[in-house]
Amino acid sequence: MDKYEVVVIGGGHAGVEAASVASRYGAKTLLITHDKSKIGEMSCNPAIGGIGKSHLAKEVDALGGLMAKAADKSGIHYRVLNSTKGQAVRATRVQTDRDLYKLAIQELIVSTKNLTIKEGSVIDLDIDDLKIKSVKTDSGEKIFTKSVVLTTGTFLGGVMHTGLEQSPGGRIGDPSSEKLAKKLRKLNLSVGRLKTGTPPRLNKNTINWDLLSPQSGDTPTPLLSYTSNEEERPKQLDCFMTRTNKETHKIIIEHLDESPMYSGVIEGVGPRYCPSIEDKVMRFSERDSHQIFAEPEGLNSDLIYPNGISTSLPLKAQEALVRSIKGFEKAEIIRPGYAIEYDYFDPKGLKHSLETKEIEGLFFAGQINGTTGYEEAAAQGLMAGLNAALQTNNKAPLILRRDEAYTGVLIDDLVSLGTKEPYRMFTSRAEYRLILREDNADMRLTEKGKELGIVPDLLWKTYLQKKELSNNELERLKKEKIKPNSPEAEKIHLLSGETTSNNISLLEILKRPKVFHHHLPQGENILPNNVIDEIEASVKYEGYIKRQKADIEKLQRNENTPIPSSLDYSNVVGLSNEVKQKLTEARPESLARASRLPGITPAAISLLMVHIKKGRRLVG
Amino acid sequence: MIDSRTIIAPASASGRGGISVIRMSGPLSNKIAKEMCGELAEPWRFKKCNITSNNGSLIDVGMVVFFKSPYSYTGEDIVEFHCHGNPMIVNLIIESALVLGAVVAEPGEFTKKAFLNDKIDLAQAESVADLINAQSESAIIAANSSLSGNFSKQVNGILDELTEARVFVEANIDFPDEDIDRTHMENLNERLIKLLGVVSGLLTSVQDGVKLREGYSVAIVGPPNAGKSTLLNLLARERVAITSDIEGTTRDLVRVPVNLAGLIIEFIDTAGIREDPENSIEEEGISKSIEVINKSNITLVVQDSTSVKPFNVELGESIVVMNKSDLMKESQPNDKNAFYVSSVSGEGVPELLSELIKKLEVDEGGETVFLSRKRHEECLIKGRDFIDESLEGLRQDLGLELIAENLKESHNVLGEILRPMSSDDLLGEIFSEFCIGK
Repeated sequence: MDKYEVVVIGGGHAGVEAASVASRYGAKTLLITHDKSKIGEMSCNPAIGGIGKSHLAKEVDALGGLMAKAADKSGIHYRVLNSTKGQAVRATRVQTDRDLYKLAIQELIVSTKNLTIKEGSVIDLDIDDLKIKSVKTDSGEKIFTKSVVLTTGTFLGGVMHTGLEQSPGGRIGDPSSEKLAKKLRKLNLSVGRLKTGTPPRLNKNTINWDLLSPQSGDTPTPLLSYTSNEEERPKQLDCFMTRTNKETHKIIIEHLDESPMYSGVIEGVGPRYCPSIEDKVMRFSERDSHQIFAEPEGLNSDLIYPNGISTSLPLKAQEALVRSIKGFEKAEIIRPGYAIEYDYFDPKGLKHSLETKEIEGLFFAGQINGTTGYEEAAAQGLMAGLNAALQTNNKAPLILRRDEAYTGVLIDDLVSLGTKEPYRMFTSRAEYRLILREDNADMRLTEKGKELGIVPDLLWKTYLQKKELSNNELERLKKEKIKPNSPEAEKIHLLSGETTSNNISLLEILKRPKVFHHHLPQGENILPNNVIDEIEASVKYEGYIKRQKADIEKLQRNENTPIPSSLDYSNVVGLSNEVKQKLTEARPESLARASRLPGITPAAISLLMVHIKKGRRLVG
Repeated sequence: MIDSRTIIAPASASGRGGISVIRMSGPLSNKIAKEMCGELAEPWRFKKCNITSNNGSLIDVGMVVFFKSPYSYTGEDIVEFHCHGNPMIVNLIIESALVLGAVVAEPGEFTKKAFLNDKIDLAQAESVADLINAQSESAIIAANSSLSGNFSKQVNGILDELTEARVFVEANIDFPDEDIDRTHMENLNERLIKLLGVVSGLLTSVQDGVKLREGYSVAIVGPPNAGKSTLLNLLARERVAITSDIEGTTRDLVRVPVNLAGLIIEFIDTAGIREDPENSIEEEGISKSIEVINKSNITLVVQDSTSVKPFNVELGESIVVMNKSDLMKESQPNDKNAFYVSSVSGEGVPELLSELIKKLEVDEGGETVFLSRKRHEECLIKGRDFIDESLEGLRQDLGLELIAENLKESHNVLGEILRPMSSDDLLGEIFSEFCIGK
C-alpha cells in the first residue's frame, strides 16, 4: 500500500509543474496520468508566451519551474511582442517544436527526485470528514495521500465537436474522465461548462509557400528562461503569414447553421480573446480580413498550425474555408479543427492557496479553474503543488500578492471574481503593470523560492550573478558623468535635446526619454541584455513606480486589516442586504480582499472598516 | 438593497411654528406609522389622521404620508408626520416611534442612505448640505444645479471619454498583432487635447463654485486712521467696529459678511499699517493684516484723501479708495485710478461697490456654476494634470504603457468626485456636515 504526501492527477502543463515543485520541496509525490507518453503535450498551438503569458512563464521559471526551460529547448521561432513599447509590456513569444517540447518536459520530470510517475486513470476520491484520504484508480488500486492536486484540463466530462458530430474525449485521440467528473459533481462545488477550440492542421507540402509573406524571428534571439543558454536551442525557422478574405467569410456564414456554437449545441462559453473564426467573422462583421500565421509544428513535422482559424465547422466546410485562403488553395487537412466542451469548477470555491474551501487537502489548478492557456495552467500548477506540499508539512501557504506577480493577479482574480469565460492573462489585468515585468520576475520571486527550498542551484547562482552585475552597474551609473564637449555629450544632447554637465550622473541622463543604456559610455563589464533591461526599466519607470508603491502601501493597510471570521455581517450598520449576503457567502479574509469582490462598493468598505474598528475598541 | 435600521428625526427646524415635519426611513416605517396613525393612504398621498402614542393616547391631529421604496429620498420606505409645530409634540411622536422599533438618526444619515442606495452620488449628496446652508440666491441656484445632477453628468461624460481612450490604449498594448485601426492612434492625441479642454472648462466652473460656496473675502487695509473701520461700518450698515480719531484703534481683525447682489462677501477690517511700527503689539497686528491680504480675493487700500501716506505692502488685486472725500480741499490732486468716497455721507460708495463686483469677476448667466468644494477642485486639477502628462508622453513618444498609466490615474482621481475609491474617512467627513434629520 503506497502512501504519498502529494498526488497530482494529470500530466499537462499544470500537472507537471505541480508534481515538479512538490518534489523539489521534498514532498513524496506521485504523478498519475493516463498515458506517460503524453506528459507535456501541447494540445493547442505550439507556442509559449505572448502578452501577459510570457510574464507568467518567467515567474514560473523564477521559482524553478519547467515551462520556460522546455520552451527554450524546443523554440524554433522567437519574437518580442510590443518591442516598440516599454519594458513592462514587452513579451516574448516562442514557437516550439511540439515533440521537442514534450521531450524536454519529460526529461526534466523523469529526473526529479522524490517523484513517482504512474499510468492510470483516477476514478474516485476518498473523502472522509471533508478531508482527502486516498484516490482510486481504474485498476482498482487505492493510493493513500495527504493531498491531491487536480489538473484535469479539458478531460472532465470533455465532449469534442466537429460540425454537429460530437464524441466524448479530452483531446483528439484521448478519452475523457467521466467517472471522476461524476464524483466531483457530487461534491458541494459549483460546476459550469466552458468551451475552447483548435484549428485544423494542414499538410506542409500542400501549401503554396510562395504566396505567403515570411516573417523571421527576432535577432538577437531572446531566451525565455533565466537559466537557458544558446546552445540548447534548436535551429530557427521562419514563420509565414496570410489572411482570410471575403470569400472565406462568405463560406463561414453559409455554414453557420452547422456550427455547434451557433446552432446551440454547445452551451459552454468560449474565450472572448482567442475566438473561433466563426466568432471573429460574426463579431467583427465590418472587417473583411483576419490575420493567419502558418506556424510549423516542428522541425521534422509535416503539420502546419494555421493560427487564427480555430473552428468547429464540419470537415467539408473547414476544407472550403481553408482553400479560399491565399496560399492554402490546395491545402490538405490532416486533422480537422474541433471545439471541446468541458467541466470547470467555480474558482470562487478556492482559497488563495488554490485549496478548495470545501475539502481539506484538495487543490485545483489549470483549466479546471476556468482558465485557458498553457502559461496560466503552469503558474497555477506551481502554486497548487507548492501549497499542497507546504500544507502536508504544516507550513503556511505561499500567496503572491497582486503587486508581486502576475501569478498573484491570476489567482486573486479567479478566487475573488470567478470567471464566466475562459480566463486569459493580459497586462491590463495588472494594476501594477510597471512593476511586474519580464526582466525582473527573478528579482521579484527567486529569493522567496530559495527560502522555501524549491530553487535549483543553477538558478540561484544565475540570480546572484545578475543581482551583483545590476547593483554594480547602478553604482557606476550614479557615480560617472559625461565630459562636457565630448562626442558622447554631443550624442546625448542630440538625442534628448538637453545638455549634460559635470553635475549630472549617467543615471540622471538615462532617465531622459529617448536615451537608452547603449547610448551611455559603457563600463568594464559586458552586461547581458536582461541586466540592461532591468536597469533601464527601473530607472525610466522610477517616478511611476514610486506612485504605485504608495498605492500598494495604502492597500497593504487594508490587506493587513483582517476581517474576523466570526463577523456577523447582519450587524454592520448601513450595509445593504445584497452586500451583506455577498460578504457572508465570500467570507473575505481581509478588507482589501472584500474590496475586490464584485458589487462591493468603496462605501461599503468604509462602513465595514468603521464596524471592525469599533469592535476592536470594544474588545481592547 | 435596504439597510435594516429604521431611523427617525425631525426634518424641520426645532422651535414653535405652524407645522413640524418628522421623517422616518427604513423597513419598519410603514408598520410603525400604521400603529400610530391607523391605515395609511396609498403611497405619496397625504392623509389626515389622529397621531397616537405607542400606548394609544392621542398626541396630535396631523397629516401622514408614505413614500414607498424605492421611489423615496433614501430609496427605502419613508413616512413623514406633519404635526403642529410644538417641540413637545415632536418629541412625543419620536419617542413613540422609538418604542416601536425606530432609532434616532445620526447627522446626515438620510442622505447617507440615499447615497448608499445609489439614489444620488457623492457630489449630489454634498450639494444637499450646500443647498441647506446656502446663503445667497446664486448659491441656491448653483447648489440646485449640482443636486439635480448637472455637475455629475459632466463628470460622468469626462469619465466615459477617458474609458474610451483607455480601452483603446489597453487594446493596443494587449493585442499588438490584431489589426487595430492606425487612424485611431493618431486620433488619440486629438481626443485627449479635446478632453483636456473639457476638464479645464469644468474646473473653471468649479473654481467659481468654490468661491460661491465659501464666499469672497475682501481685505480693507491702509495706513492708520484712514477711516477703514468707518468704511466697514458703512458697508455693514451697522456699527461693528469701534472707530475713533486715535491711530491704531483697530488691533484685531473684524470680519463682516455682507450680501451684495446675491454674493456673500466677507469684508475684513485690519489694523493700520505704518512704515515703522512702535511696539510688538502693532507689529503683530500688521503681520496679521498681511496674512489677510494674501488670503483675500481682493484688497481695498484705504487712504485718507486729505493726507495720503506712503503704503508699501505687496498687494494682489486691489482697489485704491480715497476716503474722507467730504473733507477734501478742491485744490488737492485727483488720482484718476482711485475711488473717492466719504464714509460719513456715503458719497461714492455705490460706484466703489459696482467696481468691486466687476473685479470679482463672477460669471453671471454665462457658464453654469456649480456649488462646489475644494475636494472637487483638487480632483479636477489632478485629473487634468494626468491628462496633460499623457499628452506630454505622446509628444515625447514615451511607451504606451506610461500613457496608459496616466490615463488610469486621471480616471481614478476624477471618479472619486462621484464615488470615492479610497476607503478613508472621507464619507464620515462629508456626512458629518449635516445636521440630524437630513
